[in-house]
Amino acid sequence: MSELRSFDERYATALADPDVRGGLTAFQRGWRDSRDAAIADLEAQEGRSFDELRAELAAIKDGVLADWEHHLDSFTDNATAAGAEVVRVATPGEANALITARMQAAGADLMVKGKSMVSEEIGLNGHLEAAGIPPVETDLGEWILQLAAETPSHLVMPAIHKRKEVIAELFERVLKRPFPPDDIDRMVKVARTELRERFLASSVGLSGANALIAEGGSIMLVCNEGNNRMSVALPKLHVVTAGIEKLIPTYADAMKQVRLLGRSATGQPITVYTNFLTGPRPGQEQLIILLDNGRTAMAEDPDVAAALRCIRCGACADVCPPYGVVGGHAFGHVYTGAIGLVNTSFHHGIEAAAGPQSLCVSCGACATVCPVDIPLPVQILEVRENVARAGEAGNAGRVTRLALRAFQHPRLVDLGMRAVGVATTPVRRGGVTALPSALTARGPLAERIGWRTPPAVPPRPARDTLRRGRLEEPPRLADQPLAGRKVQLFLQCVSDRMAPDIPIAAAKLLRAAGAQVTVPRDQHCCGLPAYDSGEQDTAKSMVRQTMEALADGADVVTPASSCLAMLGHDAPYLLRDDLAEVERAQELAGRTYDLISYLTSGPGRLPAGSLDDGDRTPVTVHRFCQASNTLGRTDAIEAFLRDVAGVPVVPLPEASECCGFGGSTSVRNPELSAGILDRKLGCVDQTASSVLITDNPGCILHLRGGVHASGREVEVLHLAEYLVRRLPGATASPQER
Amino acid sequence: MSSAVTQTGAGADGAQRTLLRTKVEAAASTYQEVAGWEEVAAHAASLGQRVAIAPSLHAALPSLAAMLEGHGRTVVVPGEDDPAADVADVPVAIVAGAMAVAETGSVLVSEHELRDRVVTMLCQRLLQVVAADDVVDRLEDAAAWLAPRGGQAGFASLMTGPSRTADIERSLTIGVQGPDEVDVLVLTGADAAAEESTS
Ligand code: SF4
Repeated sequence: MSELRSFDERYATALADPDVRGGLTAFQRGWRDSRDAAIADLEAQEGRSFDELRAELAAIKDGVLADWEHHLDSFTDNATAAGAEVVRVATPGEANALITARMQAAGADLMVKGKSMVSEEIGLNGHLEAAGIPPVETDLGEWILQLAAETPSHLVMPAIHKRKEVIAELFERVLKRPFPPDDIDRMVKVARTELRERFLASSVGLSGANALIAEGGSIMLVCNEGNNRMSVALPKLHVVTAGIEKLIPTYADAMKQVRLLGRSATGQPITVYTNFLTGPRPGQEQLIILLDNGRTAMAEDPDVAAALRCIRCGACADVCPPYGVVGGHAFGHVYTGAIGLVNTSFHHGIEAAAGPQSLCVSCGACATVCPVDIPLPVQILEVRENVARAGEAGNAGRVTRLALRAFQHPRLVDLGMRAVGVATTPVRRGGVTALPSALTARGPLAERIGWRTPPAVPPRPARDTLRRGRLEEPPRLADQPLAGRKVQLFLQCVSDRMAPDIPIAAAKLLRAAGAQVTVPRDQHCCGLPAYDSGEQDTAKSMVRQTMEALADGADVVTPASSCLAMLGHDAPYLLRDDLAEVERAQELAGRTYDLISYLTSGPGRLPAGSLDDGDRTPVTVHRFCQASNTLGRTDAIEAFLRDVAGVPVVPLPEASECCGFGGSTSVRNPELSAGILDRKLGCVDQTASSVLITDNPGCILHLRGGVHASGREVEVLHLAEYLVRRLPGATASPQER
Repeated sequence: MSSAVTQTGAGADGAQRTLLRTKVEAAASTYQEVAGWEEVAAHAASLGQRVAIAPSLHAALPSLAAMLEGHGRTVVVPGEDDPAADVADVPVAIVAGAMAVAETGSVLVSEHELRDRVVTMLCQRLLQVVAADDVVDRLEDAAAWLAPRGGQAGFASLMTGPSRTADIERSLTIGVQGPDEVDVLVLTGADAAAEESTS
């Protein structure tokens, strides 16, 4: 097995391989369909929701953590009674030395391995090779990777980054006979013939463990291929490598894990083999190595302890948009996907965690599918803060940090943005900045900037237009749910400065519904960009500034759902060290809405048909990822457009998937962001709609830039921009530039 | 052994077995109900010239070998010395399950010794035989079977369908290191009781 290369190299390799993205997108889509169907079946079978079921399993795993030593002892006692030898080790070095010594003592010259992530974690293969005892991987995917001298790119589907053509070529090269790429069956069957002799000849077999059952000292080991059963049965010595977090109290608890594991991993109700091994078979020895390697430290850190619930199903990678572009070799270290962004720093050090961290777009999708309900997005941001603190993120990190710290100062931002607005007047073209084609068409910069036309910076921010008395009185709706109600408009920094039409449209709508709209002067930025970048101190100070600016007890409405994610969801957590601040944050959260919630379920609820005058061209809707994944909003915009505006809505495939904007990701890893955007725009193409509606300004600028750069004919609009066109007496396109 | 579920009457049993059939078939195994071991032997005989019997089943039900021989089949019962070699090329094998779980279509097979395990690992087509009384509803029933056996050396597997992989482009392929085909046979007749002592 090859050593892990540097992150930059892994990232560049992944981007350069067109197969990676195409294959992974297909994989993620296929997984989603089977997983969703399997979970729906389970919910029907159990008469309980996925959330209830996963909360139950999470509580079982948390219970183990609360009384870890007791469960460890009980597992050890029972396994020992059944004839196993149980050894606890603190470091990978100890584990490797122990295994190597045992093998040498037994005179073993070959090890057959079932799939074990812990063996990858400790780098066992390299050690055995150095000791002259070659290990043979027996899981088909792992075997393919061993032949290719690669590491797994997924917890469950290790070779999913490889297309069948590549595998056929590999087999031809190594096995020296032809393999037609379309004959997958033949490629699978060759594993049986090639590996059977090894199974029979090997005196040592290694496996991982999916669970360590404390009440009986049993190892639960699942597999589909049957290779694991052979590698634990045939050799004279069976070595188990497992992390100490795999403990589960009882067999009945293990069955709850079974119900969620197969469905989350591959969409199967249960794997083909779910084996319970208690001690060695007659004539065999069993050595169980329980590895710590940072797990105790995780358990002691309340910010990440819940990550020890992980059952290694891989679901958090299967829904991850950046993973879908670059795969697990870049998105992760040894452990891939969202969980890898959390546990890598504990198992392999902060340096190993830094690179992959920068790829996460904070879309929150991972948390929606994790079968043990790990708050992955929050934990990722905790680790990111540590990474930022350790200063390991390189120059890009330093630049981001300085920019974010400067961004804290409203005066500075105000002056700077106005200056940019004036300076860029000559290249401003209808909402975008026209870059010279010499820059975007080819050359070194093309790939980094050519895929998305940058937004225009207008000379005047929205706050100027919205100053009292400047905005002409808009036409009123027949229904006035907000009559006499005061609403503070939170502009959001991005739209205030770069897309003023959005908050202006929002103000008009709210006034049309009867509200008395004010724009508090001292508002600036909710702190989300800083929080997403691991700059928690900066983020906190911006939240405080915002709480101050919005202290007047009136409703707060923002056209940016991202600010609601921050003020309504993240802020109380971020300020958790100070109870008084938590209360203030909660008080603000309780009266803060994004526009769509305000108009559908909040005080501004508009009756059906209120805005049904106007264009009826079908539209499609992108659901802002954090609104879906973090705030739990589903089809509110679609329903509103249909019922209140009377417009046909064409469902957008993968509507809740991130568009690739993802805060600083699109600046730091533009190639990745471009890949995610491409998938999103491909879905928009499928709807054949010419109007794309969504409600987060960052996404809108990003999507507009992508539409413009790719020459598509799609108008990307904020919900408010779309709706003001339907106000009585509105002209078709009232926006000022 | 007897199952952890109490008898709930013929109607409930019928529904349970209907569910079992659905799940067994969903896992790409076949399902059939047979009156007794003679039918099991006849089915096995129709599938190949040589038939392996798991040693633990052979010990509990020696007459099964005679039934197969009556069909002119060669019976293989793997021995202690080199059990893997004994069954290497045997196309059909018979094993008795301790229970079948309707929820998942799984058969729980207890096979501590290597010579039992080679039968389910190495043969191409595997017949898993379970008494109707040992059909249970839920995975927890399997847990209830396992729990009292904790702390004692043992090996039991919930087997659900033939071995498979999707490691290449997520394309489902049946038959990797384990059997290519699995038949679940539920014994409904009176001599189902004879099987009780085997598991
Ligand atoms: S973190 Fe959750 S979703 Fe990810 S591998 Fe672990 S259990 Fe699965």
